[in-house]
Parts: sequence; structure tokens; C-alpha cells
Amino acid sequence: MNTVLVVQSLISGVIMGAVYALLGVGFSLSWGVMKVINISHAAFGLIGAFIAYGMLKLWGVDPIVSLAVTVPFLFVAACLVYRVLILPVTRAKEVIVSSMILTFGVAIILENLLLLLWGPDPRLLTTSYSTRVLILGPFYFQYPQLAGFLMSAAGVALIHLFLSKTYTGKAVRAAWQQPEAAQLCGVNLKRISTITFGIAVASAGAGGVGLAFLYSFEPHAHNLWLIYLFLVVIVGGVGNVLGTAAAGVIIGVITGLSLAFLPYQWVNLLTFGLLMVILVLRPEGLFRSEV
Amino acid sequence: MKAAATLEIPRKRIAAGVVVLLVLALFPWLGPPVYFVSFLFTVFLYVTLATSWNFIGGYAGYLSFGQVAFFGIGAYATALMQNGLGLGPAGTMFSTIPAGVLAAVVSAVIGYPCLRLRGPYFAVITLCFAFVIQLAFRNLDVVGGADGLWLKAMNLPIEVSRSVMYEAMLILVGVTVLVSIAVSRSKFGAGLRAIKEDEEVAQTMAVNAPMLKMRAFALSAFFTGTAGGIYAYYLTYIHPDIVFDVNISILIVLMALFGGGGTWLGPVLGATVLTVVNELLSTFVKAELARIIYGLLFIVVIIFMPNGLMEFFRKRSEDRRSASPESAA
Repeated sequence: MNTVLVVQSLISGVIMGAVYALLGVGFSLSWGVMKVINISHAAFGLIGAFIAYGMLKLWGVDPIVSLAVTVPFLFVAACLVYRVLILPVTRAKEVIVSSMILTFGVAIILENLLLLLWGPDPRLLTTSYSTRVLILGPFYFQYPQLAGFLMSAAGVALIHLFLSKTYTGKAVRAAWQQPEAAQLCGVNLKRISTITFGIAVASAGAGGVGLAFLYSFEPHAHNLWLIYLFLVVIVGGVGNVLGTAAAGVIIGVITGLSLAFLPYQWVNLLTFGLLMVILVLRPEGLFRSEV
Repeated sequence: MKAAATLEIPRKRIAAGVVVLLVLALFPWLGPPVYFVSFLFTVFLYVTLATSWNFIGGYAGYLSFGQVAFFGIGAYATALMQNGLGLGPAGTMFSTIPAGVLAAVVSAVIGYPCLRLRGPYFAVITLCFAFVIQLAFRNLDVVGGADGLWLKAMNLPIEVSRSVMYEAMLILVGVTVLVSIAVSRSKFGAGLRAIKEDEEVAQTMAVNAPMLKMRAFALSAFFTGTAGGIYAYYLTYIHPDIVFDVNISILIVLMALFGGGGTWLGPVLGATVLTVVNELLSTFVKAELARIIYGLLFIVVIIFMPNGLMEFFRKRSEDRRSASPESAA
């Protein structure tokens, strides 16, 4: 077997996985903390990608700089969505089902708004450094992939630090583990949930930019992204940030390796098959939840 | 409510049901435009799909997002049987029954490990299953691969062949709804509802949960597969992207929940209303805008009637009754 090829696909797998991890962390948080399976999570990611694309095309703004706009914008938008749409639903008989249908509606709306604005053509983020390659020995790294990787790694690390070091972050974890007890200790559950949802969706926007660095995207792309989200979050364990990050890398590596040795169409088959097997054998995820 | 009323169906209701079915059966022979026959065919199709989903999703509370896999398996089985055995129109129609049986067998194989998972995990694994089956069919050349499969159309004028399809689907929807009513009144249905409420408690009360879930899943796969077979004959061309389109799976779940899962009438109502709304929107509004309105509809329904149309209207009529002075007295 060709060692260089294996290592190269391992590297691209790790890069891919880091981006999926950033996209998955927020999904995992809103599922774990608020019991909201946000079907529109990946669609919000697409909005991040399209904002980056638009700013790059119109004003030549670097996609990473565009996050300065995307992240606050999506945070505010998500807080509004949570307060106006999702909060009334949390009183329903089955929160998970109701929130799935509701956010499915949100995803349809976002997808078709993007279709109206941009049309169905696939887009590529073409930056000034898109064609540049970093060569280390026999391995090569494309600059956009590196940018996506560094941004995603930083994003996941930031969310982890927020949850483990700040007061609000600790309150989020408390609200997840013991909602009643947390409220008794003066945690405002409504406020914490709103902030969590805002952070989750804002990180999805950043993850969307990360994916846009790696692949072309169009308004329907969020459907496939969503499947990968489920994969990453379930393998990593719902609500487990570091587990999600690890799962992202594992799945990225598996996908990267199988892309090197299998025809493209069989890769997705393998991935979904793998998810089914993991679900049957270990539905709680591969990692012990330690939040 | 009165206990007797839930066990015996009033004569009036049976008569009303028979009249509705007869009128619907006569409709295509009164010379309406083909458009309406095809449209009602679509309504029947979705009522069948939503009602069959209801066996596992509504009564037992296991949200299957993999129904389209059974639909597609039924469609492919019918197409392959027609091509392989050189079946005529009648043969093709009857081949939809073994096609449904095949879908039920597949559901048993897949249900055995998957039905142990609960809540969102079951939803995700069935969704994955739908994707796996679609990808497999797209890549297997034995079943036509990405080229799809052709069926021999009926050698009849379009009005007549559409009417025959219409009648076949009407029979199927009638049977499915009848079975659904029967299940909702049976011990089997009570067992499924017990599983939905609390599976552990149900099992301690001697409800054989794994067996009941498997049976409900197989029942839902059978009717879905048979509907897929008729649909394949109706289309005369099938492709993995058409009959395994995951959006169909999601639409089925939404229709049933929109009407109200767990009752036999809910999915019938939900599927009818949403098919009509969909048709109106796609006729009069730009496609993207229509989808946006469709999305808004889900949001509005979930916020204002989180437990479906049925529950919403039942509550309203109860409120009115309790507000009126007679019932207070």
C-alpha cells in the first residue's frame, strides 16, 4: 500500500473532521441541553457560507473576516427564533418531535430564501490563496483547507473553554444535567437556553464557512450536511463537546481513507451503514458523556 | 366519553363511509377531466402512506423516517416482476401484493435490531436506512442502477388507464384505513398505545412489546410497499431518486402528525389537507415561494396545534361544550 497516499488521506480526513466537529458541536448542544433537534442547524450553516461568499464577491472580504458579521448576526437571529418559535413548543407533549417539525419548517424557509436570492448553482469560495499549496516533505496542504481547519479547531476550543471556564457556560452544563436544581441555584433557564441556542447556531455559521472552504455548496447542500451532523453527534454522544470533536475527526478519517480507495458513490453508503451499526451497538455514543 | 360508543361503530357512520366510498368509486366514470382523477389518485396515495405510517409512528410512537425505503422496494419489486415475468395489466396489479409482502419482510429484518432504539435514535436509524437503500439501488446495475427501470404501460386510452389506477389506489386506501380503524379498536392497538405511553410499564403488564412493534412495523411496510407498486405502474418509469426520495419519508411523517398521529382519522385528514394545499400552492405560486409558505405552515401548525389538527378541534369543541350552560348544569 502507498504510505504517502494513506497519510495524505488521513490528513485531509482530519481537516474534514474538524470542520464537521465545529458544525456538530452546536447541534449536539441544542439536542443535549434543550432537547431540541434543530433540523435547520445545517441550513444556518449554509447562511454563514453564503454570507462569506457574498462578502467575498462584492467587497473582497476574506471569509474568515466575514465571521465578524456572520457570528453576531446568526447569534441574534437564533435568539429571536428561539424566543418566538421554539420556546412556545417546549410546552408540547413531545418536545423533540415538535421541535423537529418546527425546525424542519425553518430549514425549508431558509433553503428557499437562499434559492430565491442565489439560485440553485453550486458556488465555490475562491480566495486569493485558493490555489496556494503548502508543501511539507511528500505531503501537501491546500491553504483554504488549512484555513478551514484552523478556524474550526479554534471554534471548537472556544466553545469548550466557554462551557468549562465561564459562569454562563457552567450554568449551561448545570441546566443540562439538573434543570430543576440549576433553577433553584439561581440559573435562569430561559435565558440560558436562549444563549445556548444562539451560540449553537452561530457556531453552525462558522462551521458552514469551514465547509465552504472545502467543498462547493448550493442551497440544497444542508440536507447532506445534516446527515453528517447526526453521524458526528451520535457517534460522539449527544451533548458531549469533546466527544463530538473526536467523532468528527474519526468520521473524517474514515471518509478520507475510503475516498482514497473506494469509488465516490460507495463512500456515503459506507458512512450511513457505519452509523446504523454504531446506533444499534452503542446508541449512547462511543465516548462516555462527561459534561 | 361513553365507553360503549368507542367499541361499537354507529350504523350512521358505517353508512356514511360506504356512501363516500361509492361516490369516490363512481367519480372517474362520470367523465371528469383527467387532471382531477390524477389529483385524487395522489390524495389516495398520500392518505395510504400516512395511514400506514400511523401503525408504527402514530399508535406505537416509533417515528419511522424510513417509510420511503419500503415504498421504493415495493415499486422496484413490481417493476422487476413485470419485466421478468412479462405480466399483463392484471398481473402487474396483483404483483403489488407480493411486492408489499417483500417490503414487510425487509421491515422485519431491519426492525429486529432497530426497534430496540427509542425516540430520536429510531428516527435517525430509519432515515439512514432509507439513504442506504437509495444509494444501494442507485449503484446496483442488476436493478437498473442510475438508469432506472421502465414498466410497460397499460394499452388503453389515458382516461381509462388513469381511472383503473384510481380504482386500484382507492381499493388500497380503503383497505388501509379499514385496517387502521380495526387496529385502533383492537387489543393489538391498545398494546401499541401502551408502548407509546410507557414501554417499561407496558411490558410489566404482559404486553409483548418487541413482537407488537415488529407487527406494527411490518403492517406499515406492507401497505407502503403495495402503494409503491401501484405508483410504479402509474409512473411507468422509476428511478432511485424518484421512488426513494427521502423527502417522501419526511412528508409522510409531517402529514400524519399534522392531522394527529395515534388516531385513524388524523393521518387521513392531514394527508388530504396537505396534498390539497401543496397542489394549490404549486399551481398558483412560484415554486420557491410555495415552499416558503409550506414551511411557514409547519411552524404555525406546530405552535398553535402542537398535537395535530384532530386534538386542536377536539379541544375546541370540548371548550365550547363546557362553556355552554347546558353542560354546566
